[in-house]
Amino acid sequence: MKKRRLLFLGCTIFLVALATLVLACPSMADKLQEAIAKTPQGEGPGMINPSAPPGFMGIPGAPRIFWLWTVLWGIWVGWIFSSVGAFGGIMAGVGHITVFGLADYGKTFKNTSPELNKLLTDSIRVCNQYLVGLSSLISSVTYYRMGRLVLPLGLFLAGGGILGAYLIPVLTAGKINLSMYVGYFGLVVFAVAFVLFYETTPKGQERKKAAKAAAQAFEAAHIKKTLADQDKLGEWARGVHVKHWGLTRVVFTFYGSEFSFNPLWPVLGGFAIAAISAFIGVGGGFLYVPFLTSVAGLPMFIVAGTSALAVLVSMITSIFTFMFVKSVPIDPVLVGTELVGIFIGSILGPITSKYIPEIWLKRLFVVLAVYVGVGYLTKGFLGYSVVPGM
Amino acid sequence: MDDAMYMPFFYRLLDPYLIWFYRITGAALVDFLIGTLWLASLALVIGEFTISLAFLATKPRIDRATGEAIKYQDLSLQALACGDQKAYAAANKLANDAFGKSFFMQVALSAAFLWPAFFALAWMQCRFSEIEFPLPYTVYSLGYTGVFILLYVGAYLLFKRLKPKLPYFRRIQTILNDYGRDTWRQEDSALT
Repeated sequence: MKKRRLLFLGCTIFLVALATLVLACPSMADKLQEAIAKTPQGEGPGMINPSAPPGFMGIPGAPRIFWLWTVLWGIWVGWIFSSVGAFGGIMAGVGHITVFGLADYGKTFKNTSPELNKLLTDSIRVCNQYLVGLSSLISSVTYYRMGRLVLPLGLFLAGGGILGAYLIPVLTAGKINLSMYVGYFGLVVFAVAFVLFYETTPKGQERKKAAKAAAQAFEAAHIKKTLADQDKLGEWARGVHVKHWGLTRVVFTFYGSEFSFNPLWPVLGGFAIAAISAFIGVGGGFLYVPFLTSVAGLPMFIVAGTSALAVLVSMITSIFTFMFVKSVPIDPVLVGTELVGIFIGSILGPITSKYIPEIWLKRLFVVLAVYVGVGYLTKGFLGYSVVPGM
Repeated sequence: MDDAMYMPFFYRLLDPYLIWFYRITGAALVDFLIGTLWLASLALVIGEFTISLAFLATKPRIDRATGEAIKYQDLSLQALACGDQKAYAAANKLANDAFGKSFFMQVALSAAFLWPAFFALAWMQCRFSEIEFPLPYTVYSLGYTGVFILLYVGAYLLFKRLKPKLPYFRRIQTILNDYGRDTWRQEDSALT
């Protein structure tokens, strides 16, 4: 156990150091103050009035969001997390983009101060990322402690994640204006809507019922036998043992069965998931587990623990970058008050779930997701939303 | 110019009490470290308290969500031991679905732990946004955020050892330890 922990710690430190060296850059004057200084002064749209009271991120004249609204929105997000799950991250993004008016504010600087426009875009997506990502980190560490780690899988996943977390900011930081970001966010919302919708269809429900029936049949027929079989396996066989490391194939045994995977899959998966998380500000940790169980067919028991390594590395990388580089500013009060709301929502969710069936919640979120997706897609790529309120 | 003038009202009320810890010795660097350590510890303890409240309030739901994940996870392992691939795939899928619910439940709870840290950073932003500690022989520097995070991690590791000795947190730790023992199978790792 001690050797495993030291190995894990060593690999994590190496990956984080590598990522930090790649991602860090010389410190420079505060980007936000620079962007504000370059923005025309005045009271019209796209201008900054220096004597106006400070709002979002301390920018004079920026939207001043009353703390109660951020707490209430956080309650909504936390309620969704604890009722249904993934859709909460999307709603956190909707809050930053639409509900608090940050996107509309940022868009006013499109022509007058493109630098501030893009900085606000980056800030919104980092706020999304920190709101959801840090919480995912804590959750993942819990599962790491309980699960098992397949070290080569974790390293390849983390490596792909660092690549995605590096390339996407390099390619997009300061280059994506708010309209484009809103449009791409709408695409991701549509993808989530599709997944949620599928789960509510008879076919989606049937798959789950069939899996439950197969599992129950196995349990009924084999429970006594499997306990005896398990004991025969012995302690050694019940652990994870890597038999072969290779560039095209890694083989390990677990519970008497042999598993193998092509390292390219976790690298690509880690890259795609980290890229989406870095670009949009949602997703990330929770996507690793279904990716590895569905695509690679690996047991959830070891995937949950393994994916924690990737989440740990990518979040530590993000935090280190934030520590060493005054890169993208965030509004900590906004994030803090939203977290208070999420905390309250996490308590309300279990209470209301006794009265509202999950399938009806999912149907509600499908409708919301399609509405938001259509609104953002059209607003982002056409310049106006075809549905009201977006 | 007094930076406290630009603080939101809530922080202006707390500022005299928070800044007091930054003026103990008179040596700037030492005071900054002492004050930030105190602030990080305060944020940590408040976070630990609020997450314990959230955990106690939602324990039945957490038990149900994680119990389902463990049940199907164990079943998938039993199917593996039996060599029944069909049952393994079915149980693994159900474990995956249950894991998702449990994971997001815990994500929501984690907010209860993190929120004080962001409020602490917001106050530090008003007071110490210009502070930079250049790293020797590099062009990089550490700002107030970096110092806070490092001291927060240190405070967390220290508090982890102190928790069993503190009355309320000792009780919570006992519940968590029993929770871990009852809901997760304890297996000796063969991966060493």
